[in-house]
Amino acid sequence: MTLEVRGLSKHFAGLVAVADVSFAVEPGEIVGIIGPNGSGKTTLLSMMAGLLTPTFGSVLWKGSEIQALRPEIIAGLGVVKTFQNPQVFAELSVFDNVQVASHLALKRALGFRRGLEVLGAARAVERRLAERVAEVLALCDLGGAARQLAGNLSYGEEKMLGLAMALMCDPEILLLDEPASGLGRDEVHKLAAVLAKLHDAGTTLCLVDHKIGFLRGLAGRVIALNYGRKIAEGTPEQVLNDRAVIEAYLGVRQGAGHARA
Amino acid sequence: MTQLVLGQVLNGAIIGAMYGIIALGITLTFGITGIVNFALGEFMMIGAYVTYTLAERGMPYPVAVVPACLIAAAAGYLSNKAFFQFTRNNLVNGLLVSIGLISIFESASMLLWTATPVEMHFVLPGALRVGDIGLPKMKLVVFAVIVVVIVATYLALARTWLGRAAFAYAQNPEAAMLMGVHTPRLETAVMLYSTGLAGLGGALYASLYSLEPAMGGVYVLKGMEAAILGGIGSLMGSLWGGVILGVIEGVGSVFLPTAFRDAYGLAVLVAILLLRPSGLFGDE
Amino acid sequence: MTGQALLWGLLYALPLVVRSDFLLTIFIFTFIYGILGVTFDLIFGFTGQLSMFHPAVFGVSAYMTHLLAVRFALPFWVATLPSAAAAIVLALIVGSICFKFRLKTFYFAVVTLAFAEMIRLVVMNWNSVTNGTLGLVVSGKPTIYWPGSGVVPIKGPIAWYYLTLVCLTLTVLICSRCLGSWMGRCFGAIRLNEDLARTLGINVFRYKLLSFLIGCALASFAGALYGYYTGYIDPGYFSINQSMEVLAMVLLGGQGTLLGPIVGSFVLTGLPHAIDLRAEVRAMLYGAILIFTILVMPRGIVGTLFALRSKRDA
Repeated sequence: MTLEVRGLSKHFAGLVAVADVSFAVEPGEIVGIIGPNGSGKTTLLSMMAGLLTPTFGSVLWKGSEIQALRPEIIAGLGVVKTFQNPQVFAELSVFDNVQVASHLALKRALGFRRGLEVLGAARAVERRLAERVAEVLALCDLGGAARQLAGNLSYGEEKMLGLAMALMCDPEILLLDEPASGLGRDEVHKLAAVLAKLHDAGTTLCLVDHKIGFLRGLAGRVIALNYGRKIAEGTPEQVLNDRAVIEAYLGVRQGAGHARA
Repeated sequence: MTQLVLGQVLNGAIIGAMYGIIALGITLTFGITGIVNFALGEFMMIGAYVTYTLAERGMPYPVAVVPACLIAAAAGYLSNKAFFQFTRNNLVNGLLVSIGLISIFESASMLLWTATPVEMHFVLPGALRVGDIGLPKMKLVVFAVIVVVIVATYLALARTWLGRAAFAYAQNPEAAMLMGVHTPRLETAVMLYSTGLAGLGGALYASLYSLEPAMGGVYVLKGMEAAILGGIGSLMGSLWGGVILGVIEGVGSVFLPTAFRDAYGLAVLVAILLLRPSGLFGDE
Repeated sequence: MTGQALLWGLLYALPLVVRSDFLLTIFIFTFIYGILGVTFDLIFGFTGQLSMFHPAVFGVSAYMTHLLAVRFALPFWVATLPSAAAAIVLALIVGSICFKFRLKTFYFAVVTLAFAEMIRLVVMNWNSVTNGTLGLVVSGKPTIYWPGSGVVPIKGPIAWYYLTLVCLTLTVLICSRCLGSWMGRCFGAIRLNEDLARTLGINVFRYKLLSFLIGCALASFAGALYGYYTGYIDPGYFSINQSMEVLAMVLLGGQGTLLGPIVGSFVLTGLPHAIDLRAEVRAMLYGAILIFTILVMPRGIVGTLFALRSKRDA
C-alpha cells in the first residue's frame, strides 16, 4: 500500500523543475520533503496529486499508475493534497466548505443511490455526514467559526480549513504543501498536534515545508531536493547533516537559520 | 465559375476585413483595458447610417465619412465613461452591458431610420476589367482603404511610443503606470480608436451594401467569431481571422446552400475552438 | 420560508379575486417565462455557466410538440415527452462537447450561441417540415383529465393560468430539491472554484453536464406551453433576443435565486403593458434595465432583498 514516485520529471518550456526523482512512501509513514526555494517541491507534490502531468516518469498508488488520471479520480482513490496558499470557497461558510468536501464520503456511502438523497430518502446518511463535518471542524479547532464566512477567516484559520476539507475526503495519504508556512508559533503547535493525531489513526503523511524544526519533530524520513533533483534521503538527522544539503541551503541562510528544536 | 469564385473571394475578403476591424477593436480593447466591448458593431452601424444620411443630403461621400467616424468615436467615448469603465476585467458584466447597449442603439436606429433596409446611391460605379474578370471599382477602393488602415494600425502599434506603451500596459498595468504611461488616457485612446475605426468600417460598408438597424448585432457576432478564430491575444491575428471567416462564408456559399452561409463560419469556429483554443495565430 | 409559502398561496388564490383577463394573461406569460428563467438560472446563476442555448431548446420543443401532436394525433402531454427527450439529446451533445473541452464562461457562451444559431438556420430553411419563416399555426389545446368531466381541453385565461402555474410550481420544486441536495453543493462549488472542486473529488464535467441537461429538459416544457398558448410558432423562438430577454429577467430578478427569475419575469412582462410602449422603445427599456441592473444592482431585486435581510438578521 504505497505511493511510489519513479523517475518523475517536469519540464516547463526549457526550465527543468523536477528531474528524475524517485522515492516511495510506506503506509503509516510521515515523509518530509525539504529544499531551497525553487527546488521543485510544490511541482513534485502537484504531480503526485494529478494536478500536473509529468513530462517523464510515473506515480504509482498501490501498484497502479495514476499520473495521467484526473484530480477528482485521484482524490477518490485516497490521495488528497492541500495547498500552500489556502484554497477555500470564500463565499461559503466554514461549515458549508467542509460539507462540499463531503462529496466523496457521500459517494462512498451511497454510490449510485445518491439519487435518493435528492428525494430526501437518505436522512440517516446525511445526518452522519453532518456529524462528521462537525467532528472534523472540532479536530481542526474551527468548531466555533462554523457559521463564519470562509473569506473572513485569518490566514491561519484558512489554512486549517483547507486541512479540514482535505480530511473530510477521508484520505489514505495526505500530501501537504507547506502547511506551516505563514502560521504563528501556537498555530504551528496546533497543526503538529492534528497531524500527529492523524498519524496515530493510520493516515500516511507526506509534507513539504521550510520550517525544519516542525518537520524534524514529525517526519520519520526526509527527502531533500535541490534544482529539481533528489540530493539526500534518510532520517531527519542524517539529511540535515548531509553536506550536499547544507551546501544547497548555504545560499538560503534564512531557511537553515530557522531550524529550531 | 472562376468569375463566381473570385468574385466571392473578393467579396468575402472585404466583408471579412469588416469583421476583422470589429475583431481588432474587441481584441484591442480587451487586451489593453480589460473591457469587453461587444457593442462595437453598433458603432459600425452608427458610422454607416450617419454616412448614409449625410450623403443623401448632398455631402460628397469622402467628406461624409469624416463626421461619421467622429460621431461613432464620440458615442464610444461616452459609452465608456458612462458604462464600460465599470466593467473592467469582468467578462460577464461587460458582455451584459454590451447586450444592453446593443438593444438601445438598435432600437434607437429603428426609430430614426425604420427597419427597412436603405441603400446609398452609387459612389463609384463601374468595374475594372482584369482579363476575363470584372472587379467593381468601389470594392477595390474600399479594399485599398482597409489595407491602408490595417497597415497604419500595425505601424502605430509596433512603432510609435503610444503603441508600445499600449502593449506594455497590457502586459503589466502597474509597471506601465510607474513608467509614466497615463492609463486613463490610454483607455480613452483605445476606446476612441476602436469605435472610430468601427465607424469608418461602417462608412465604407455603406458605400457598397444596404444598411439595416440590426447590422451591428450581426457584425459583432461575426467579429467575435473572427477574434476567436484569429486568437484572442493576437491583434493582427484577429484581422486575419476576419478575412478568413469572410472568405470561408463567401466561398462556402458557392458550393453549398447559401441559406446556411452563416453556419459555415460557425462550424469552422466551433472546430477551431475545440482543436486549437488559442486560435490560429494566438499564443497559449 | 413561510414568506415563500404565503407567496405561492397568493398566486394560487389570485384568480378567485382578480377578474381581469388582461392581468391573468400577464401572469400566464410570467409563469411560462418564469420556467425559462428558473431553468436558465439553474445553469447560469447556480452552476456559473452562461448558456445561450435556451432558445434552441425552447424552439425545438415548441415545433416538435405541435408537429408530433398533429401528425400522430397525440395528446399534448404525450407529445411533450419526445420533445423533452430531444432537448436532452441536444443538450447532451452540445454540453458534452463544450464541457469536455473545458470551455470557460465566454467561450461556452459563444459556442452554445453558435449551436443555437445553427439550429435556427436549419429550422428556418427546412420548409417542408417547419414551413420556414412563415411559421406554424397551432390550433390544438392541451387536455387534462378532470374527474367527473373526463378529458377536458384547456381553454380560457383561468384554465391556462392554473396550468402554467402548476408547471412553474413543479419546475421550482424539482430545481429546489436538486439544489438542496448534494447536487446543489456540487453546482455551487463549480461556480465558485472549479479547480478546488476537482481536488475534492467532484467530477466537474459530470455536474456541469447534469445541470445543463436538467435546465434544458425542463425548459423544453416552456416551449411547448408557449407555442400552444400563443397559437403560433416561428423561427423567432430561436433568436438571440430570446436569450437576452431570459438573461435580463434573471439578472433583474436576481441570479442565484429561484424566486428571482419569476419576479424578473413578472416585471419585464408586465412593464410593457403597464406603460404603453412601441416595440422599439420596449427593447430600449430592456437594454437600459440590463445595464442598470448590472452596474447598480448586480444582485437583482430578490438578491438585494435577501442581502438586506441577512444583514438585518446578523
